[in-house]
Amino acid sequence: MSLWKKKKKSDEDYYLASQWTLMGRKLMHHKLAKFSIVLLAVLYVLALFAPFVAPYGLNDYDSNYKNSAPTKIHWVDENGKFTGPYVYKMTYVNNRETFKREWAEDTSEKFFLRFFAKGREYKLFGFLPCSRHLFEVEGENGGTGAKILLLGADNLGNDLFSRILYGSQISLTIPFAGTLISFVLGIVLGGISGYFGGAVDTAIQRIIEVLTALPTIPLWMALSAAIPADVPVPAMYLSITVIISFISWTGLARTVRGKFISLRNEEFVMAAQVAGVSPFRIMTKHLVPGFMSYLIVNLTLGIPSMIIGETSMSFLGLGMRAPATSWGVLLQEAQDITSIAQYPWRLIPLIAVIITVLAFNFLGDGLRDAADPYK
Amino acid sequence: MFIPTILIISFVVFFIMQLPKGDYVSSYIARMQAEGEVFTQEDIAALRAQYGLDKNWVMRYFDWVFKIITKGDFGYSFAYGRPVWSVIMDRLGITIAVSLTIMAFTYLVSIPIGIYSALHQYSPGDYIFTAIGFLGMATPNFLLAIILMYLSFTWTGDPLLGLFSNEMLQEGIHLYNFGEFLQRMIIPTIVIGTAGTCGVIRTVRAQMLDELSRQYALTARAKGVSEATIVYKYCLRAALNPVASGLAGSLSSIFSGSTISAIVMNLSIQGPVLYEALKTQDTYLAGTILMTQAVLVVIGTLLSDILLAWLDPRIRFERKRS
Amino acid sequence: MEEKKIENDGKDIVLDVRDLRINIEMDEGTLTAVRGVNFSIKKGETLGLVGESGCGKSLTSKAILGINEKKCKTTGQIVFDTDGRGMVDLLSLSPKGKEIRQVRGKQISMVFQEPMVAFSPLYTIGNQINECTRLHITKDRKKSREISLEMMKKVGIANAEKRYDQYPHEFSGGMLQRALIAMALVCNPKLLIADEPTTALDVTIQAQILELMKELQKDLNMAILFITHDLGTVAAMCDRVAVMYLGKIVEIAPVKDIYAAPAHPYTQGLIGSVHKIGTKKEERLFSIEGTVPLALNLPPGCGFYERCGKRIEGVCNVKEPELTELSDGHAVACHLCGGCQGCAFGANSGEEAKKDAE
Repeated sequence: MSLWKKKKKSDEDYYLASQWTLMGRKLMHHKLAKFSIVLLAVLYVLALFAPFVAPYGLNDYDSNYKNSAPTKIHWVDENGKFTGPYVYKMTYVNNRETFKREWAEDTSEKFFLRFFAKGREYKLFGFLPCSRHLFEVEGENGGTGAKILLLGADNLGNDLFSRILYGSQISLTIPFAGTLISFVLGIVLGGISGYFGGAVDTAIQRIIEVLTALPTIPLWMALSAAIPADVPVPAMYLSITVIISFISWTGLARTVRGKFISLRNEEFVMAAQVAGVSPFRIMTKHLVPGFMSYLIVNLTLGIPSMIIGETSMSFLGLGMRAPATSWGVLLQEAQDITSIAQYPWRLIPLIAVIITVLAFNFLGDGLRDAADPYK
Repeated sequence: MFIPTILIISFVVFFIMQLPKGDYVSSYIARMQAEGEVFTQEDIAALRAQYGLDKNWVMRYFDWVFKIITKGDFGYSFAYGRPVWSVIMDRLGITIAVSLTIMAFTYLVSIPIGIYSALHQYSPGDYIFTAIGFLGMATPNFLLAIILMYLSFTWTGDPLLGLFSNEMLQEGIHLYNFGEFLQRMIIPTIVIGTAGTCGVIRTVRAQMLDELSRQYALTARAKGVSEATIVYKYCLRAALNPVASGLAGSLSSIFSGSTISAIVMNLSIQGPVLYEALKTQDTYLAGTILMTQAVLVVIGTLLSDILLAWLDPRIRFERKRS
Repeated sequence: MEEKKIENDGKDIVLDVRDLRINIEMDEGTLTAVRGVNFSIKKGETLGLVGESGCGKSLTSKAILGINEKKCKTTGQIVFDTDGRGMVDLLSLSPKGKEIRQVRGKQISMVFQEPMVAFSPLYTIGNQINECTRLHITKDRKKSREISLEMMKKVGIANAEKRYDQYPHEFSGGMLQRALIAMALVCNPKLLIADEPTTALDVTIQAQILELMKELQKDLNMAILFITHDLGTVAAMCDRVAVMYLGKIVEIAPVKDIYAAPAHPYTQGLIGSVHKIGTKKEERLFSIEGTVPLALNLPPGCGFYERCGKRIEGVCNVKEPELTELSDGHAVACHLCGGCQGCAFGANSGEEAKKDAE
């Protein structure tokens, strides 16, 4: 009996579960998507706590460490005894033949790492004054002590690891803000176009046609050429976001329009119209929820191209510019082959880009599979 | 349909072009002043008048369009000091050739792989292609360019920069160095084509899987049709539908991809010219390049419509009715 | 059971399905969609396979042609009297091989339930019918076109020459079903599997199509496996009926017996739910409570236990009833049939049942 009851219960769960619960459950079956969610969560938490995790500030450069190789972390001393993590000071010799700095460890003094220690002051989330850091090097002061450069330094002597973290605050949020804008634009314009039809529809469709005919990157380049070089960082951020979202809403608007056209003649819409429901309410209450999952999938799949877009623009010097930093800005240093050959760690921001884009792709794929009622 | 779209495109392009503060004269003067030259207000006004920049932009737009229609004159490139059209013609042929090569590469590689992946779903081959596909879509193509050039540099000592070697530039392309030209096409093709290729692989795979599970495939199987016929006669033709409608989009993304990659790889196609023109506010040149690209995409849309009608009788039927 | 049937009518049997089982691997577990199905069809006979959606009847029919999806693991035997090679177990043939493809379409063909999606929208109807004749009858283009046209006329497609070059979207549903039947019959098959051929059609067209199928059956002397959930059409079409529930045949009998003396509670329920002429207004149609359970990790006992009005606790939910012959050609799988061999009412199994229940 109990078996039957249990079985029945699970059946009922299955039949009665809402679309979202089902989607969530199916998504959890998609191992890559699950992994991607965790990964993205970690990335976003890191971005949120960037000043806490990063050992150095955004522009705390030290010219003694120009193009420094990554610092090695040691765990045991010369006698093989475990001592906890420590680093040596890095020194360099200029190689006269290759004109390359060759980095070596100065093993005369050990600098231990301290965790959750007080250090440089910063504001967490932009307003909480804090001075604790996840980790820092003991006795570091004014450039005489050792520095910890987990991923090496750039050509000014900035810590690449810290800068990747600060960069993620921009690189990871622009796509979200952009998505939000294109979401609103897509639904509103697509909805109006599909629901009302006629001349409005024709006009909107023509605009979309024109925008899709213009190749994305050249258009972005043209638009961002319009941003004055001296705007403050928040305005720059906003402009780039708007520019990037400028393109992706068109696809969404087309989809929404198509759905509206096919749905507006359905009986339930007619019933709502007869009952005197306003067009706005019909759209928001009756039409949009019907294909919300579809929209979310589309949007998730659109995020990667936005990340790549922002990176590309910044890489060309047309996107974010110093003093702000993003992954694309960091990659500017990787523009020529010889610099990569000498300082391969300059490509590390690329790994961050690839991982994030892949994670969003897998998540989008998982969501699409989960949202598809026919599978 | 065609002409109004192009007219709107030209207007949008021109509008975007005049968005940046200042114009060619102001950016020119800024550069000259940095080199120590001195300009008076009169000099500046004279320069503006000379380039026709003293009028308001709407006037200039109508001027521009009027001259294009009546004389085929696309304006004057300030930076090059000659008509825009002649600047564009320098590189239009090679740009189209490169784009078409990349397109051919995209479809010739992606469609067979997509079919294979769909027919062998969840096989090791499918997983490998899927992994490559995702990686290809996730890597910004300009960075792929850097990586490939770096690899080529470390292996062969030649980063294969640019489409032509110095000798080729002097002697022109002949049969005997055509091989080298092709060799130099490899990296650009892979770099610019990869993202599109991976995208089409994903589409073809998903579409094929979808079509293979359709009822008509089952009907065909039930009447004794061989798997090969089901795949190629029935499913593939249906699966190519979204590929055909994506034709224009892929052309547009090739222009997109080639712009950045060409800057990085120093390819003598239109991308870098556009980049420079945008930076120096060489309005007519940048605008015309953007417009030619958009017009080519619109032509691509027309072609894809024709292809769609050929692939799908239902679309032909609707056309006839309307 | 099986042995006996073959002894009786060995020469006339076209198709003999023995202990057919189909398991589907899913994320949630293994779905046992078909759980040991036995039946046979004689030449010129029509066997109805009746059941609710999800009971495994469509899977069974597709298994005969070997056209189920890969994830459907099929075991058992499907013995078919092939042209030239005698009795062959179709399941032993490679599902993509040449041998089975010579059976499909030529010797066994199938009519599907939704004609609108059964044709590829990209080719003309003529092209798709013609494909069949070119594969199985003649390579000659002209001849095969003639054969196809003739069959199109035979199934009542007016203006066949013009229709031949039209696309599916230019056809109405009824016309498409006729075309589908033409395609199925164009090679004179020995066995036609009709999978709910009329569910997607209007009632008047339904009747026409059924009439057409009956006529053509007589002309071509073929056997039909008629799959439906509609007992009304069964009465009109079939000689014998097999009732399926949850992947098993629960009752099989000549069509008269099924209506006169349905033995299984499920069959009784099905017949009770059909509207009859002469019922009083106040009388409500009988309906079977609940839905078919998902065939995932099924509990022991009778599959119909949950929904059965006559269930016996401690027996029906413990031991699965076996198909037992009541009279000649009428067999049922129910503990309530009484006095049969191996029945749960027998002393031993009763004891066992109680023990298990504890």
